[in-house]
Amino acid sequence: MISLKALSKNPLKSLLIFSSITIAVMAIFLISSVSQGVIGMYSKMIKTDGDIIITQKGISDTFFSNVDIGLIQKIDNLEHVASSYGMIVGASPIGHIPIAGIYGTTANHFPHYKLTKGEYPKDGEVILGTNLAKQFATRSVNIGNKRFKISGIFSSGIGFEEGGVVMNIGDAGELFNRSASFILVSSTSPSKTDEIVKALSTLSSEIEVKTTQNFVKEYNQFKIIKNSSFVISTLAFAMGLMGIASVMSMIVNSRKEEFGIMRALGKSRLFIIKNLFFETLIMSTSAYIFALLISIGILEILPHIDMLQGYVNGTLSLSTAMYVLTSTIFMALLGSLIPAWIASKTDPILLINQGCA
Amino acid sequence: MIKVSNVSHYYGKEQVLFDLSFEIKSGEFLFLSGESGSGKSTLLSILSTLLKPSKGELLIDDESVDKIKNIDYFRQSKIGFVFQFHYLINYLNIYENIALAALDDKKHNINEILKKLGILELSSRYPNEISGGQRQRVALARALVNEPKIIFADEPTGSLDSKNSIIVYELLAEALKGGTTVVVASHDMRIEEYATQIIRLKDGQIL
Repeated sequence: MISLKALSKNPLKSLLIFSSITIAVMAIFLISSVSQGVIGMYSKMIKTDGDIIITQKGISDTFFSNVDIGLIQKIDNLEHVASSYGMIVGASPIGHIPIAGIYGTTANHFPHYKLTKGEYPKDGEVILGTNLAKQFATRSVNIGNKRFKISGIFSSGIGFEEGGVVMNIGDAGELFNRSASFILVSSTSPSKTDEIVKALSTLSSEIEVKTTQNFVKEYNQFKIIKNSSFVISTLAFAMGLMGIASVMSMIVNSRKEEFGIMRALGKSRLFIIKNLFFETLIMSTSAYIFALLISIGILEILPHIDMLQGYVNGTLSLSTAMYVLTSTIFMALLGSLIPAWIASKTDPILLINQGCA
Repeated sequence: MIKVSNVSHYYGKEQVLFDLSFEIKSGEFLFLSGESGSGKSTLLSILSTLLKPSKGELLIDDESVDKIKNIDYFRQSKIGFVFQFHYLINYLNIYENIALAALDDKKHNINEILKKLGILELSSRYPNEISGGQRQRVALARALVNEPKIIFADEPTGSLDSKNSIIVYELLAEALKGGTTVVVASHDMRIEEYATQIIRLKDGQIL
């Protein structure tokens, strides 16, 4: 097959195209995967242990939300409520680490954090996430202006949590000067969720009650992350694709002499286009697969890099992979076939002369 | 037979051929001579259908080239072209270079022609692995593979030494014996002894 011959006998050109496509595709994958990962981790945190979330009314970010923890007693008395817990989510320097997540929670939520060492925290104590624990060999740690004893190490499978600390909600309340960021409520049956939401809404005029599913869909922070990630990955994608198209276009232009010779030998335009189509298809598909494998490898490694504390986790969805595949092949073909088509319409001798120039 | 009627050609605004008219009969060996810039390569490109003339008409076997429906097939089946710089495809070996030009029903000719030109043992080598003289013989083999009615050669010996130049001329003369029309554009006046018709060009006009 001429296409394979052309690729294998021009290793430098082939490598140039292959590398350009690989780098462009990797950039697209990594940017979109990391932002999807951020959203995925936070969604998982909220969805894992509750069907309903209560936040302060009119506050767009859980970091600024303040809900009265005292509501928990009333909530637990409501019909169809299985359990509820309060939580404070914040961030602060921890020891020598410039910033890490702090999760203050009521004691009934501690079992969510699986202990790998030690015991759950009492007042003035914290448990460290697995990733953060790698940074500390001490028995206590400074958080804000207070020193906390390290009572244990936990694992939860969520990067944000494993890179932070968990403490009693009372201690977190002192640190962040609030009662609770939100309260999560579990129902006895999924069919009762709407009924509970209505009942909860009557408890206070200062709260907003949503199912966790709706909250994740509507949460402003996620919208900001999604939108900014969309803009960045679209720009990276567009630049990558333009790069692919321009490299293909340059390569095709550098082969005008060859196309001129083929036309002079009586080969049709279709013959030239067909061979170039297969060359581009082979090149872009193999570069895509290579980029996909490297990206998957990098995404696997990222959560284990100590410096990143497990905060950078990537999620590569099938729909993203398919979208990038289609776009990559389309742009590579566009970049190669349009100049080839234009060149194939030129008189063969002019092509040969242009190629020599 | 090739008939050229009132052919002129321009590159941009510059006119390089001026209202040329002449005929080449079948089986002739036409020598197009002239200095550099006389327009002989442009005329050869027009005669071989590689370039459309700006004005005028070209008829091959009483058929206007402009009206030929499948010019690619016409070129492949009826015309052989030898370029000054051989123009072999560098990623194809010698056999594949010739096979690229060959019509399906003429592929059986390849080994026979390579043998006749003394380059059969080179068939698996690549163009950059053989000498300039050998490359030009491969280019000639490529031009002959479809047993064309006309062979065009543009400075076919321009990059060759005397010994290889004579080999190329004799191979072209041999093709002539088989009834093929040969048209050669060259500076090399030694070709006159093989020619049956000579057209001398100066500044795009026939002297």
